Amino acid sequence: MDNLIFELKDVYFSYLGKYPALNGIDIKVKQGEKIAVIGANGSGKSTLLHILDALIFPDKGNIKVFGKELKEENFNNEDFSQNFRKKVGLIFQNPDIQLFCPTVKEDIIFGPLQLGMEKEEIQKRLKDITHLLDIENFLDRSPHHLSIGEKRKVAMASTLIINPDVLILDEPTAGLDPLTARHIVDLLIHLNSEGKTIITSTHDLHIIEEISDTVYVFSQDKKIIKSGPSIEILKDDQLLRDHNLVHIHSHHHKGKIHIHPHIHLDHHTD
Amino acid sequence: MFKNNNFIQYSIINTLSFLKESVFADEYALKKGFLQSLDPRLKTITFLLFLIQILFIKDIFILLGLYVICLLLAYLSKINLWFFLERTWIFIPLFSLFIAVPAIFSIFTPGKALMSLNILGLKLIITQQGLFGASLFVMRVTTSVSFAVLLSITTKHFELLKVLQIFKIPQIFVMTVGMCYRYIYLFIEIVENTYLAIKSRVGTKIHYKSGQRIIAWNIAFLWQRSYQLNENVYKAMLSRGYLGKPVVLDDFKIKTKDKMWLSLVAIISGLVFYFNNR
Ligand SMILES: Nc1ncnc2c1ncn2[C@@H]1O[C@H](COP(=O)(O)OP(=O)(O)O)[C@@H](O)[C@H]1O
Ligand SMILES: [Mg+2]
Repeated sequence: MDNLIFELKDVYFSYLGKYPALNGIDIKVKQGEKIAVIGANGSGKSTLLHILDALIFPDKGNIKVFGKELKEENFNNEDFSQNFRKKVGLIFQNPDIQLFCPTVKEDIIFGPLQLGMEKEEIQKRLKDITHLLDIENFLDRSPHHLSIGEKRKVAMASTLIINPDVLILDEPTAGLDPLTARHIVDLLIHLNSEGKTIITSTHDLHIIEEISDTVYVFSQDKKIIKSGPSIEILKDDQLLRDHNLVHIHSHHHKGKIHIHPHIHLDHHTD
Repeated sequence: MFKNNNFIQYSIINTLSFLKESVFADEYALKKGFLQSLDPRLKTITFLLFLIQILFIKDIFILLGLYVICLLLAYLSKINLWFFLERTWIFIPLFSLFIAVPAIFSIFTPGKALMSLNILGLKLIITQQGLFGASLFVMRVTTSVSFAVLLSITTKHFELLKVLQIFKIPQIFVMTVGMCYRYIYLFIEIVENTYLAIKSRVGTKIHYKSGQRIIAWNIAFLWQRSYQLNENVYKAMLSRGYLGKPVVLDDFKIKTKDKMWLSLVAIISGLVFYFNNR
């Protein structure tokens, strides 16, 4: 009870009041948990993550954060707002959006500067985080000149430097080569072992088992169709096929044609 | 008509790509040369000083001297001289010829005749004063354009933005410039990608009408994209604690090298002043 971080009850959201994006969502996230949100494109994953980061607020329903009800008015209070931003960090699906500063360095230190961190502390963290993600050489480059993998790392650095307790990631491995994806998964596992709560949306079924204890499956009508331990969900072929997470592949094998479900890697990235 | 249209389309794409390469590439600004290592604030101020001086120089040889200094600085800053000359000389005719050429003739600048031309019964006399004035003008334009180009290619765009900010140019203006920069980049990128996509699907021979439709659709798409981009960038800023007044890190430092540069500029300016008023 006391270690609940997020508690969503019957949450509805629609864009501009007419494009429904969430239709009655119930989710509970405990401290230190690993959560994965999976579902086809447009099933509402990003919308949910933006709600969790208090960037948008539900039309209907109830959200509790750290045991208190979350209200839009609370964010008019600077202290409350800054405190929340320090605790909860979101890494956006599209790094081109997250990276809006002229250089990588400025992007990474944007958060700490806004949150009033000391200059020495910022420099120290900048050094640590760029070393950890191996992006020291890009600091003076413009973010939109980097490759997708480099952009994702910079986007991660710009949120991780704030050192939030709760880390929300929107398709962090989409479009990455297997090795870079591996590094990111390892980093998430490491951060979780340090006590951070990790919430990830993904299409990448390969990584689900490692990055989640509990999986929520979103359906095309923007509802949660099923939730449970990751191993159980991954076993449910029919469910995964119904929600466009695997597709049937046929290929030749020893002169015979095999037909079997095939896990999607990056086919779904938008 | 169709051919022309295609040609225009092609040229526009090429021009945009050239613009993208030349305006957005920080290639030279990232090199470890002399000017790149200077404090951007000092560099900007001293270059402004040069530009103002150039306006008041009456002697073509002093201008020539400054031009040589400019080329030398370019060389020390690891800039390919051909690239630099090409970049600067593209602008010079634009600025100078239209103003300078008429001035060499006697109708505009009376004086001692050097040469007379007889074009279609119209007697044109080139005067010494006119020619001299025109050369001085061209030289002045050349030198100032060269200094301006040198400053812009050896300084990263964000540093120029930061200099603006530090010189107390209002925040909102600097942010707007930064955003424009992003939009233009995004715009060129979309045009390039669309063009490639069209080409890969239907080849370059698009019917004029459908070409128009594609372009119209893309402009609508671009508006929508930039609106969404704006909204989402704002979310990304909020998420990291933005409260409506961006905080920037002023981490410029004045080093010994900057002090040496400042002394050098003082000496050059002194000499220029002395010779100009002799
Ligand atoms: N800015 C927006 N304006 C209008 N509709 C949107 C916007 N963003 C998302 N949507 C719609 O909301 C639904 C859920 O989108 P999203 O949360 O991005 O899904 P996912 O991340 O699972 O792909 C989709 O139908 C999408 O078209
Ligand atoms: Mg999404």
